Amino acid sequence: MKTPTVRRKASALRKRRASSGASAGKIHPVVIYPFRQSESYEDLRQLYAMVARLTDNPEIYARPITVVDRKTYYANAKNKHFADFRKNTVEVTSDILDAWCVDTCQMWYSGLGMAYERGGPNDVYWLIPGDFNYGSMVGHEVLSQLHDLPEICVELQQDVCIGEIATDHNNPKQIIDTYGTFALLYHWFPNQAREIREYTERPRSEFFAMRHAFLGEMLNRRWYAYEQTVVTLLYAVFDKKHISRFLVGHVSDLPEGRESVSSAMQQLDRTERVLKTLWRERNQSLPDWTKHYRVLESQSDQVRRTAMTILENLLS
Amino acid sequence: MSYRNKNNAHNMRSVNFVCDAPQAQSVALVGDFNNWNAHSHPMKKQADGAWLLRPELKHGHHRYAYLVDGVMTLDPRAMGVTRNDKNERVALIAVS
Repeated sequence: MKTPTVRRKASALRKRRASSGASAGKIHPVVIYPFRQSESYEDLRQLYAMVARLTDNPEIYARPITVVDRKTYYANAKNKHFADFRKNTVEVTSDILDAWCVDTCQMWYSGLGMAYERGGPNDVYWLIPGDFNYGSMVGHEVLSQLHDLPEICVELQQDVCIGEIATDHNNPKQIIDTYGTFALLYHWFPNQAREIREYTERPRSEFFAMRHAFLGEMLNRRWYAYEQTVVTLLYAVFDKKHISRFLVGHVSDLPEGRESVSSAMQQLDRTERVLKTLWRERNQSLPDWTKHYRVLESQSDQVRRTAMTILENLLS
Repeated sequence: MSYRNKNNAHNMRSVNFVCDAPQAQSVALVGDFNNWNAHSHPMKKQADGAWLLRPELKHGHHRYAYLVDGVMTLDPRAMGVTRNDKNERVALIAVS
């Protein structure tokens, strides 16, 4: 574990803030507890060891928030390890927000919303997904780098900083993004898709940090139950926000969350649904928008089917 | 590409910047740390054709780019990407 690195960086950040003289805001960490509880707690132990170090730096970090889906809670109601870990680790290092959520993006909405209500104009909000292999060697490295995301927002006055995971070309999520997400994005929002791809190959990344004002704008718009990062990036481009992308390392989702063909199909369906809805919202005031929409919708169906054929061949 | 040498006090670190441009006549490092000045950080050509510079940078995050024969060039191996105040795509580095 890179404890000295994180402490040294926190110390350096304090010095930079002190020397800048500016009224630097706080960083609000929001941890999304894994929906499926793994039998091994090693990844979560390492994650919450980092969260504990954030809690130890209250002049830089607001008290972290952990969002736990109530379905996760009830699924583990008789699991003593789960109860002990929650009480002795999660509760000690963070405030727990228990919520009934449609999907992970609603957990983000609840957690980021709660943090936003505690924050102020100079603050930055940092989303930390819980279901990654933080217990591995590469996971340790990632935990020592994740804090770069909110710090980039603070130091370089960025509205949003997306964390990118390095993956090989055969990584299922990368394959879905390359052949599915970007295909649909280029279809519905070609100009914005080009801009997004100049920053990242992973437009659905769960690692990001946002400034207070931009988060406030996003919270008050329609928040989607899924693929919210894509929507956030689209709005960042629509509104000419300051966007950064930074490498956070080589972690992978835990096995419980890995992709099957049916999961890929569901993700493509969701992405298309979100993009359609967003396109209608932005164009329904224009004359003859329905004609244009019908053409796009018909073409989109072909794009999605083609993407699904490719994904079936690659993931089966 | 760059990596960090932790050998200095006062929150300064020596950082290696390497630009692979064997055909170039001149390469300079520009960034927030030198106000994007094309003349203050010239890089030196190495035997293998790469260009090297080892400046000391403050702790924190910096935006930078290479000027290859006067043309702003993004570091393909950068840790991050953003835009500078002129809305040009530039690279990001964390110095710790």
